Amino acid sequence: MGDFLQYVEVDSFLHKLDPRTKFVFFIVMSVLTSFVKSGAALLFLFVIFLAVWLTGHVGKYILVLANKVKVLLLFIFLLWLVLGAFRINEGPVICRTAFTVFQHPFTFSLEWFDLYKGCVFSMRIFLMISAFYTVVLSTNFSQIILGLRSWRVPYALAFGIGLVFQIIPIIVKEFSTIMEAQSSRGLEVEQCGALAKMKNYVIVSLPLMFRVLGKGHSISLAMHYYKLDFKVRRTSYKVIRTTYRDAVFSVVFILATVVTVFLQVRFYIPL
Amino acid sequence: MSFSISNISYKYGPEQELVLKNASFEIMPGQVTAIVGPSGCGKSTLVSILSGVIPELMPNGVFEGSLEVAEDVLISVVSQSPENQLFGYGVEDAISFGIENMGLPNEEIVERVEYVLDLLNIQHLRKRSVATLSGGQRQAVCIASVLAMRPDILIMDEPVSSLDPNGKKMIQSVLSLLKESGQTTVIVDNNLDWFADIVEHVIGLIDGEVVFDGGKDVFFNDFAIQERLCVTIPQEVEIYLELAKRFPGLNKFYSLSEAKREITKLIGPAALDLAICQTAESAVAKQAESAVAKQAESAVAMQAESAVAKQAESAVAEQAESAVAKQTESAVTKPDESEEILTARGICKTFADGFHALINVDAGFAKGKVISMLGQNGSGKTTLVKHLNGLYRASKGKIFYRGQETTGKSVAQISKDIILVFQNPELMLFEETVLRELTFCARAQNNEFTEETALAVLEQYGLLAQRDEFPVNLSMGKKHLLTILSVLFSSAEVIILDEPTLGMDLHLKSQLIDIIRQLKDRGKTVIVISHEIPLVFRISDEILVLNEGVRLIQDTRQVLANCDELFARISISLPPVVLLSKYFGFASLCCDVDSFVREIAVRSTAEIPAAGLAGGI
Repeated sequence: MGDFLQYVEVDSFLHKLDPRTKFVFFIVMSVLTSFVKSGAALLFLFVIFLAVWLTGHVGKYILVLANKVKVLLLFIFLLWLVLGAFRINEGPVICRTAFTVFQHPFTFSLEWFDLYKGCVFSMRIFLMISAFYTVVLSTNFSQIILGLRSWRVPYALAFGIGLVFQIIPIIVKEFSTIMEAQSSRGLEVEQCGALAKMKNYVIVSLPLMFRVLGKGHSISLAMHYYKLDFKVRRTSYKVIRTTYRDAVFSVVFILATVVTVFLQVRFYIPL
Repeated sequence: MSFSISNISYKYGPEQELVLKNASFEIMPGQVTAIVGPSGCGKSTLVSILSGVIPELMPNGVFEGSLEVAEDVLISVVSQSPENQLFGYGVEDAISFGIENMGLPNEEIVERVEYVLDLLNIQHLRKRSVATLSGGQRQAVCIASVLAMRPDILIMDEPVSSLDPNGKKMIQSVLSLLKESGQTTVIVDNNLDWFADIVEHVIGLIDGEVVFDGGKDVFFNDFAIQERLCVTIPQEVEIYLELAKRFPGLNKFYSLSEAKREITKLIGPAALDLAICQTAESAVAKQAESAVAKQAESAVAMQAESAVAKQAESAVAEQAESAVAKQTESAVTKPDESEEILTARGICKTFADGFHALINVDAGFAKGKVISMLGQNGSGKTTLVKHLNGLYRASKGKIFYRGQETTGKSVAQISKDIILVFQNPELMLFEETVLRELTFCARAQNNEFTEETALAVLEQYGLLAQRDEFPVNLSMGKKHLLTILSVLFSSAEVIILDEPTLGMDLHLKSQLIDIIRQLKDRGKTVIVISHEIPLVFRISDEILVLNEGVRLIQDTRQVLANCDELFARISISLPPVVLLSKYFGFASLCCDVDSFVREIAVRSTAEIPAAGLAGGI
C-alpha cells in the first residue's frame, strides 16, 4: 500500500524523459485504447507497454496495480461475457441452449468470441489505467507542475494537480496509521462481521477527516509563509529540456502507434 | 530594523475569550528570542499574528493594538512538522519554492539556493527527495527554504519536537550558524533545554499576558518565573536550583563545565579525592577511613568545638538519608527477578522493500516495571512495539504474553492485555467529548467504570472544565495527556507509550510521570519510547537500547549509565546527572536530580569538618 499511486524514484530511461513527452504518451494512449478494439492491436500495445515498464524498472509496481484492479477487470470481463451469452455470434460454440422465461424464448449461447470480447474490453481498460499509472510512477509532482506550466497551464491549476499527487500518498498513509492507532486501543477491525467492520471503518473516518482538514490548514499556512500568490508572475529554478531520449522514445512511440492503427484496421472483428 | 508589538489583544470571535491580553514586546534585531509559556498560553496565536496569518487567513477575530513594523519586513515561519510545509519532491524543488513565488530571476534563485545549502552545510542533500530525508534533515531543508527568501525575522515553532537526538543536534548547529550570521530568529518552544546556549532574549506568556521580557541571564536567574512558565530547563540548571536550596550563595551554572567547576568548589578537591578513593580498592579505603577516623578522634578531643559537632551530626543525618536513598535505588534497579510478563524472542522483521527493520531481537518486560527504549529514529523501536501489540507479524520469532504466544489474536484482542498509545494523539481522538474519549478503552474492552471515577481522573489532571469539549480542540499536550489517561480505564497489563511527552510542557510532563508511577504502583508494566534522555533515566527501571534493528543491551539504568562507549556509538548523550556523578566519582551513579543533590549534600557536609580539621591541625 505504501508505494501505491505515487512516484517511484528509479534511475531509468523512462524517468529521465521530459514530463511533456510522458504527458503526450498518456494522452495518445488514452485515445488509442478507447478507439482500438482489435485483440491483435491490443496485444501489440501490451507488448509495447511491457517494454516501457521493463525499461522504466516499474514492472513490480504495475503488478501491484494489476492486483488492485483485478476485481474491476474481472467484473468487466464477466459483464461482457454475460451480455454476449444472450447473443448468437459466429464461430466455435462452447455452450448453447434455448429456454423460456415468462413465455419469452431466450437462447443462451456462449462462444469463444464472447471470451475474446471480454478479454478485449478488460485489456482496453487495463491499458488505459496503466498509461496513466506509468506516468504517475515515473514523474514526480514537481515535474508534473513544471511540465504543465511549460504548456501554459495556469499555475493555480498546475499547482493543484501537483498537490493532489503530493497529498494522496500522505492520506493513504494517514488512514493506515489511524487504523493501527484505533485497533491498538481496542477497536476491532479484523475479527468481526462485515457490518461491524463497516461501522468501525466509519468510526475511523472521523479522525481521518480531522487529519485531512488539519493537513489542508497546514498547507494553506505554508502557502502563506512562502508568499504564494497565484496573481503574481512566478519564475522557476529548474528548466525542462527535451533530450535525445525524448526523440528516441517519440520515434518508437509513433511507430508503435502506426503499427497499432494498422493492426486495428487489418484485424478488426466487429464486436 | 526592529519589530515591536504594542498592547495587542486578540480573540478568535466576538463572543470568545481573549487569547492575548495587552501584549507588548520588542524583537531585537540579530538576536535569538525565545517565546515560552505553558500549553494553551497563546504562543501559537502570537505566531499567527507575527506571521500575518491573522488577519490575512483568519479575518474573523477581534484584534486590538498595533504591530510597529516597516512595510517591506518579511517574516517567515518554520513549523513543527516540515512534511506539512515543504512543497516539492526534491530538496532543490522544496528550497526554491518560496523564492520562485517571489518572481526572482533564475540566476538569483540559483545563487540563493547555493547560499542556503552552503550556509546550513546541506549540499550533500541537494539531489535527495524530501521523502527520504530524516526528521532533522527535513527540518534543516525547511529552514533553508525559508531562509532562501531572506526573511528579516525567522520564526521557528517547536522545531525539534518530533526529532531524535541526532536531529536535535543538527538543528542546534543550524541555529548556531544562523546566530553567527546575524539572522533575527524567534523560537517558540517551551523546552529551553536544547537551545539554552543559543537564546539571548526570552519572552514569557501566561494566559495571553506577557509576564517576562528580558535577557537570558535574567530569565535563568528568576527561578520562580521559570516554574510559572512551565519551562523545561537544562538539567544543569535544575541541579543548580536544587543545590541552591541547600547551599545559599552557590554560584550559578548553566552548563556541564560550569557545573563541574562550581560543584567542585562546593565539595572541595579533598571531597573529590575522597570520592575517588571510595571507588578504589576496599583495603585502601579502609586505611584512609582509619586515618581520617584517627584524625577525627584527635581533632574532636583537642578542639571539641560545638560547631563541628553540629556539622558532624548533620553529616551523619545526610549520610543516613543518602544510604536510605541508595538502598531504595538499589531495590529499584536491582537486576530483575520478578515475573516476565511479556517476551519477544528472536524477532526479525523484513519489510516488502527488503529493509531489515529488526534483526533477531530478544527482549523481556517484567511485571510492574518501567522499561524505556532508546535509539535514534529508524533503530526499530516503534517496529518492535508494533510487534508486541500484534500490529506487525514477525518475519521470524515470537511474542509471548504470560507464556502464551500472541499469534492468531487480533490487535483489538491483544489490546486487552497490551495497549499501545501512539505518539500522535490526533490519530486516536474521535469521540465528541473529553469524558467519552477518556472512557473509550473501557467501553471498547467492556470494562466496568463509573462516571464518578472518570470525573475524578479529569479533575486530578486538570481536564474537568473541558469535560464536554470536543477533544480535538484541546492543546496538543492535553490531547496527548487525554489519550494516555484513557489507558487507566483499560484492562491491559502492559502499557506502551510512544513518545508520550510530545507537545507537553513541564507541568504536563510532571503529570505524565505521575501517571506512569500510578500504573507501576498498580503492578502494570510500562514501556516508554522517548528521546528525552533525562526523563528516561529518571523514570525507568530498565532501558533497552536498539540500533539499526539490533538490540544492543537491556539492563538496569545503573548499568546503562556506565556504558559510555555504547552511548557514544548511538550518538546519544547521557544525562548531566549521570555525567556529573561519574566526574565526581560516585560509587553509585545518580540517575535523577534528587539523588544527585542528596549525594552532593552528603559529600559537602563530610568535607566541612575535614576542612576544619585541616585548619585545626
